Amino acid sequence: MSDILIRAEAVTKVFTTRRGIVEALKDFSLEVHRGEVVCLVGASGCGKTTALNLMAGFLAPTTGRIVLEGREIHGIEPRCGMIFQSYALFPWMSVLENVSFGPRLRGVPRAERQARARRWLERTGLAEFQAAYPGELSGGMSQRVALCRALANEPEVLLCDEPFAALDAMTRQVLQEELLRVVQLSGQTVVFITHSIDEALILSDRVVVMSARPGRVRATYDNDLPRPRHLDVQLTERFLELKRQVWSLVEEEVGRALSMAASKAGH
Amino acid sequence: MEEKELDLWKVAVVGALSLVFFLGLWEIAVRAGLISAFFLPAPSQVVQRGGQMAAGHRPVLLGDVGSSARRVMAGFLLSALIGVPCGLVLGTSPWVRAAMNPVISILRPLPALSWIPLSIIWLGIGEKQKYAIVFMGCFASVLVYTTDATLRVNPTLRLAALNLGASRFQVLRHVILPGALPDILSGLKVVLAIAWTCVISAEMVGATGGLGFRIWTGKDLSDSSQVLVGMLCISVTVLVLDVAFRGLERLLLPWQKRGRGP
Repeated sequence: MSDILIRAEAVTKVFTTRRGIVEALKDFSLEVHRGEVVCLVGASGCGKTTALNLMAGFLAPTTGRIVLEGREIHGIEPRCGMIFQSYALFPWMSVLENVSFGPRLRGVPRAERQARARRWLERTGLAEFQAAYPGELSGGMSQRVALCRALANEPEVLLCDEPFAALDAMTRQVLQEELLRVVQLSGQTVVFITHSIDEALILSDRVVVMSARPGRVRATYDNDLPRPRHLDVQLTERFLELKRQVWSLVEEEVGRALSMAASKAGH
Repeated sequence: MEEKELDLWKVAVVGALSLVFFLGLWEIAVRAGLISAFFLPAPSQVVQRGGQMAAGHRPVLLGDVGSSARRVMAGFLLSALIGVPCGLVLGTSPWVRAAMNPVISILRPLPALSWIPLSIIWLGIGEKQKYAIVFMGCFASVLVYTTDATLRVNPTLRLAALNLGASRFQVLRHVILPGALPDILSGLKVVLAIAWTCVISAEMVGATGGLGFRIWTGKDLSDSSQVLVGMLCISVTVLVLDVAFRGLERLLLPWQKRGRGP
């Protein structure tokens, strides 16, 4: 087995809000190996995003720890590149400036960082938009730029927080295919959050189903669909079989989440 | 139903016609004796007086515009130069905000006029006192506009920059400042108009030149035309500065869509 790149060790995260104390994650443990694509799926409010924010260092665990390459992380971790659902591109920077921003922060000379950025833009078919500002791009193009920006910074782990959820179905499929291609090409380690089981099965080596709140790992499925993979993998027998398995478990957790919400509302 | 925006040339033509109509009405009213020229001289008389003041045997008008504009720019630029960095710090640090807010709340409601007595005691009635009045009239507003602009910057962009490896200073330089700049600039545009009211007040109380002084002495000489010439000069100068400011905005904010907002 390949080595473990990032690991969550019995992480609990408790939020104190005005309405009281919320336990978002309880005893959450996960190991991600180098070069692996892991998809976290679960009902909304199950703590998926919290788990990702902990891995990025945006949040600190209440108990437990996050370990990257054998060392516990403290604070925001640039080796864990994040893709936000809202793209989070800098509106005052051109596409090229956005993509070369990470290397710029580390003092990479202008010519070198722009050449690196252009390579990524070419790979995703965005070369002719390098001078455009984010305000002039569609959602799908914006998320591609965000992907380039994260990858040009050469992260150890790519963290994706439902990056395609705000896109229309067609664009989403194109971007899934693109991410698949890029990941298969570079061997990038990815932790990907989604509420779409189809998306999880298309992209992942492993699907992790989370329980309703407080979030824990409910079950893990090894995704043995063959690679290199394309979108038409969705039409295979094995895909449907895996989907049925994952869905039965997710359905159970969604039901639990709903009944929990109902009983809370009843009080 | 929403009305369609007019073409630019239509706006210009309608605007010019309305101005000509209004001035014509005024001219006729004075000439027909409906309004006494002593209280409100006709536009033609104002223009004539303006010509005398600009190019007669004692040309003072351009000098007045120059001194007022210089005082405005000195006080305004000083307040922006100090106020914008301070506002950025206030906007990014809740501790500094908590410490400084009471002081700002006390300073901010004070009209520039109320600083005139103290400033004369401290600085006399020279140029420094004029700069100080403009500065005091502008500084608190610059501070508040900048702080608010900083607080409105999308917090996810801050996270994104930190995630790419930015230091605290790099976040300030590359995210907070450019993100807040559009709101800072529209705040500064408002402050520039405030700066003009400050300088006119200061020149009316103690000065030997400038548009405020010229308007005030017009009153002493019962020369309404001179008063109106001075007022007209303020309008024109502020308009010119406003156009220049818009040019600056387009230069600094190439990423913003044109024609949005007022």
